[in-house]
Amino acid sequence: MKRVTLKAVVDKDLCVGCRICEKVCPVYAISVVDRKATVQDDKKCRGCANCADRCPRYAIKMVERDDPFDVGVDVSKVDYSKIRALCEKAHVNPEQVLCYCVGVRAEEAAAALLMGATTPEEVSSMTGMRTGCTIECIQPLLRLVEAAGNELHPNPNGWQWYGVTTTAWDFPQEVKEKYNSRGFYFDEDRELLDRIVKQGAEKEGD
Amino acid sequence: MDNKLMHPPIMPIAAKPSQYGIDPALVKKRVAEMPGMVSVRLQELFPDLPEVIYPGPEGALDRLYELAKEELRKVDMSMIKPDQSVNVLASHHGFTLLGGQPYAILLKAIRDIVIEKTGCKNVRLRAGVGMRFRETEEYIKRYGLDEYYEGKAKGVAPIDEGIPIETEIGTLYGIKAIYDADWIIHAHHTDVREVHFHRQIDKAVKPFSMSYARIESRSTYHQNLGPRAANFTARAIFESKFVQSKFAFGAFLSVGPHGVIGVDADNDLYAINDRATFIGCQLYGKVMTLFGKIDECIAVLDFPCPVPYVFSAGVIYANFVGANADLYDMEGTPLPPYTWYTEAFYNKQGKPFLKQTPPLNPAIKMCVHNYAWTGYPSAFFSEHIPTVVVGAEQAKMFDTEPMNLKYMDHAVIAKTTEQAMEFAYNVTGTDKVIIFDGAMGGLNCSESLAKLLIEKAPAVSELVEKELMPKWFRQRGVDMSVLERLKG
Ligand code: SF4
Ligand code: SF4
Repeated sequence: MKRVTLKAVVDKDLCVGCRICEKVCPVYAISVVDRKATVQDDKKCRGCANCADRCPRYAIKMVERDDPFDVGVDVSKVDYSKIRALCEKAHVNPEQVLCYCVGVRAEEAAAALLMGATTPEEVSSMTGMRTGCTIECIQPLLRLVEAAGNELHPNPNGWQWYGVTTTAWDFPQEVKEKYNSRGFYFDEDRELLDRIVKQGAEKEGD
Repeated sequence: MDNKLMHPPIMPIAAKPSQYGIDPALVKKRVAEMPGMVSVRLQELFPDLPEVIYPGPEGALDRLYELAKEELRKVDMSMIKPDQSVNVLASHHGFTLLGGQPYAILLKAIRDIVIEKTGCKNVRLRAGVGMRFRETEEYIKRYGLDEYYEGKAKGVAPIDEGIPIETEIGTLYGIKAIYDADWIIHAHHTDVREVHFHRQIDKAVKPFSMSYARIESRSTYHQNLGPRAANFTARAIFESKFVQSKFAFGAFLSVGPHGVIGVDADNDLYAINDRATFIGCQLYGKVMTLFGKIDECIAVLDFPCPVPYVFSAGVIYANFVGANADLYDMEGTPLPPYTWYTEAFYNKQGKPFLKQTPPLNPAIKMCVHNYAWTGYPSAFFSEHIPTVVVGAEQAKMFDTEPMNLKYMDHAVIAKTTEQAMEFAYNVTGTDKVIIFDGAMGGLNCSESLAKLLIEKAPAVSELVEKELMPKWFRQRGVDMSVLERLKG
C-alpha cells in the first residue's frame, strides 16, 4: 500500500522530447506526445521521481499533490492459501517485505497477480511496489509475475527491466564449489532463505 | 576534561547544498558545539594505526596528489593506445570520505597520468550512484571534475540503459555508459562502509554489482542470493570475459577510519582486495568492535548524507545499529541486526521471522536526527529506534520523499537541536552521546562516552589482533601470512 503524495509535472519549454523519462517510468505514466513529455492522466503517476531524476534537461519537477490518494490491494479479498502457494513458488514468504521503500510485502504483490495483474508494471501500479528507489525489488517482482504463470516481455523501447537473474535455488553447483572457500556461504544462505519461506505456514494450516 | 586523551570537539563536516538535504542555512546548530562534548583521536585510542597523509598540515592535499601520481606511474598502462578511449569509473561513496577532496584528487591524478603515460586523451569520468540518481552530478560540479575532464564527466544511474553481461552464474546487467570505452579504470577506496552488506568479502570488487550495475544485478545481490552469498554478484560480473577484456587497473584511495593512508594502484584487483581486507578487518574492525562495547547512548546524526551513511570514526550509522553483533563473523552472525535481508524478514507484527535474529543495537536508547539526508529507505531505523528529528522542514522533506514516506510515521519532531538533546537526555537517562558528524581523525562524543572508549580501547585492540582477526581471515580463506607480508 502506498500513499501517493507527489506527481511529476513537465515544463514543456525545457523538454526536448528525448524520451528518457518514458524509458524509466515503472508504470508507463509518462510518454512523449508531439515531441513533448506528457503525463496524460496524472492519477497514473506513482510519484517515484525516476523521470525527474534522469531528465537531462531538468524539465520535470516533483510537486506535492493537492489530491493525495492511496493505492493498494486488499489481501483479505484473496484466498490466502493461493497467496502462500504463489509466494512459495517464487521462494518468498508472504509476509516478507519486498519493497523496502514503500513497505509492500510479498502477499500484496501476490494478491495483485491473483486479482488479474499480469506484468510488473501492473503490480507496481496497483500496490505502489517498486515506486520508491525502483531498484532493489525488481527481481522478486519478476519472479512472482513469472510464478503466477505470466511470460516476461521486457519493453524493447524502454529500460524498465531486462530480465530475471540467478537465485540461490538455481545457482550452479560447480561455481559454489569453486568459491566456497572464499567466504561465500552459498548453501548456508539458501538454507536460511528456505527457512524464511516456510515461516508461518503451519500456523495458517491449523 | 580530566583525561589527556580527551580533546575539544573536532569541527564537523559542514552541511552541504543538495537536492537530498535541507538548505544548509536551516542547520542552525551542530551537536558537537554543545556543552559537554569532547573528541577522542583514533591514533591515541589505537596507537598502532598507521600514519595518515590527510587530514594533515597545510599542503596535505597537494602531497596526496603527488603521491597518487607517483603510485599511478608504477602501474602498467601499456594496453591503452593513444587513439583509444578510457572510462575512469567512480562511485558516490568516495566523495563522502573526509570531505570529498581526497577522492576528487585521486580522480584528477588518474586522468593526468593516463594522458602522461599513454598519450590517450579520450579519458572520461563515469560516476555511479547508489539510490540518489543525481548525487554524483552534484559532486562532479562541486569538485570541478567536469572542467578537469574537459566536459567528459557524467553521473550514471542503475536505471540508465543497460547491457547484458554473460557470467559464470548466467546473464547479469551493467550500465551501458560504464562500459562504452575501450578500457575501464576502477577508481575506488578501502573505506569499509556497508559491512552489513558485503561482510568484507571482495569489498574492492563490489561496485561492479552496485554503482556500475543495473537494477537487475543490484536486486540479485540484495534479494536473490542471501546475506552471505550476495557479494558474489560482484565477482561474477568482474570476472566475466566482457569486463576482463576492458579492465586496465584499479586505483584506490587507501583510507582508514582516521584518514588517508596512501594510494594503492595495481593491475591485479584481487591484490588490492587482499590489502583492503586487511585494512577493513584490522583498522575498521577495531573501531567497530569498540563501538560494540558501548552499553548505552544517544546516537546523533549530523552529516550531509542519508541516515544510514553518516559517519563516526569511519563507521557508518547502519553499522552502529548492528554493532551488538560481530559483522565480520560469517558463522556467528549469519543475519546481521540490520541488512536488507533482515529488514525483509520482519513479519506484519514487526517481529523477526526467526527468533535468533539479533535486534537493532539495544545500546542506542534514542537517535537524534539533527541533520541527515533522504535518498535511502530509512523507516526501518525509526521504526525500531526512538527517533527525534530536528525541524519541521527536515521532517517534511522525509515525509514527501519516495523512499521515506514512512520514516516520520515513527519519529517525533523537535523545533531546535537544543530541545531535541534535552528531550533525549530526559527520556533515556543517559549522558553518553556519540555523534555521527564525520569529524576527521577521531570522533566527537560526550565526556562520559569518551571515558568508556578510552578505557576499553586497549583490550579491544588485543582482542581483534589475537582472536578475531585470525578467525575473520580464516573464514575468508585468507592466509594470515598475507598480513605479515603486507605489514612488511
Ligand atoms: S526526459 Fe526530459 S527532455 Fe527528455 S522527453 Fe522527458 S521531459 Fe523531455
Ligand atoms: S511514476 Fe515515476 S517515472 Fe512515472 S511519471 Fe510518475 S514520477 Fe515519473
